[in-house]
Amino acid sequence: MIQVQEVDKEYGHGKNTVAALKDINIEIMEGEFVAVVGPSGCGKSTLLHVMAGLEQPTSGRILVDAVDVTLISERDLPKVRAQKIGFVFQSFLLIEDLTAFENVQAVLWPSVDIPKEKQEEMTLEVLREVDMLERRDHFPRQMSGGEQQRIAIARALVNNPPILFCDEPTGNLDSKTGENIMKIIANLNRERNMTVVLVTHNEDLVKFAKRTLRMRDGVIK
Amino acid sequence: MIVYVILFLVVSDGLIQGEWLLYGLMALIVSTFYAILISQSRRRDMSIFKCIGWGNNDVMLIVVGEVLLVTLASFLVMLQISFEIVGIAGYFNADALFQGIRSLIVIDPASTLFLTFFMIMACQIPGLLIAWRRAVSVPPMKALREE
Repeated sequence: MIQVQEVDKEYGHGKNTVAALKDINIEIMEGEFVAVVGPSGCGKSTLLHVMAGLEQPTSGRILVDAVDVTLISERDLPKVRAQKIGFVFQSFLLIEDLTAFENVQAVLWPSVDIPKEKQEEMTLEVLREVDMLERRDHFPRQMSGGEQQRIAIARALVNNPPILFCDEPTGNLDSKTGENIMKIIANLNRERNMTVVLVTHNEDLVKFAKRTLRMRDGVIK
Repeated sequence: MIVYVILFLVVSDGLIQGEWLLYGLMALIVSTFYAILISQSRRRDMSIFKCIGWGNNDVMLIVVGEVLLVTLASFLVMLQISFEIVGIAGYFNADALFQGIRSLIVIDPASTLFLTFFMIMACQIPGLLIAWRRAVSVPPMKALREE
């Protein structure tokens, strides 16, 4: 479960202060698929980043599976992200020098308690799940946008996190490929009971979510 | 890697001539510059790794690993070239040729090569410290903001 309590996020100082989030209160239950929809610049991506502990809020609390990510030290935050959260970004964010297989397996590399053979097995399993097994030895530059996004999804799944954060996952894709990507994400929510938080400006994607939150000027309407 | 091979040649040659300070300084500057270059060019990758749950130590490991790997690989290339030249010179019994090449590639004494290796490894330390600071300071949001 994710609880966002009275969260504010401001950028800049003094006269140049910009309020990206204003008194946000949200509760997302386990296994829910929530879409946060709003125009560009309304603060929805900031909300996602704050929920994931990628950015600290100016004030307020964020509980991810009963862990307050606003109180966790910089040193321990990566562990929380690695165990509880998977990310899918608009720009895929794959490492250009690594193959598809290595990009996915990279999530597991720091996990010394998972043997290498097991890591490879887990990686192959998720690549199979997103139908990218045959492309495992290809580099990101050798793949289409849709394929790169599938690899990004596989990377988000490989350590089996309970939560998946998606930031405009179809933003760089054509509508047909985007639809396929959304079907994969919706399936993950159904079959794995993953909690999915989708941030988008695209109203067409709302149909995949069980609940929609509308955002404008840093406020949930 | 080519830069490091050349560095090994120049520094070991300098050590034979006894100009420790000058060539030591050169090794320090090049090694530090290279470590900074690596940490700069890997900033995007480092922030992505942080996004997917890597800690600072894990990220640092790839930077240190890359710097040390390049140093070691350059040394081995250098060593291999030296052996090849000795072999060729011996095969053709071409001492004169060997003497000429010696000014370019230092083979004898081999101890100088190893000394150079350890010296360059030691010279990496300041650069690695700078790289470590950079790795720690890269926020996971960096990659997201730049895309």
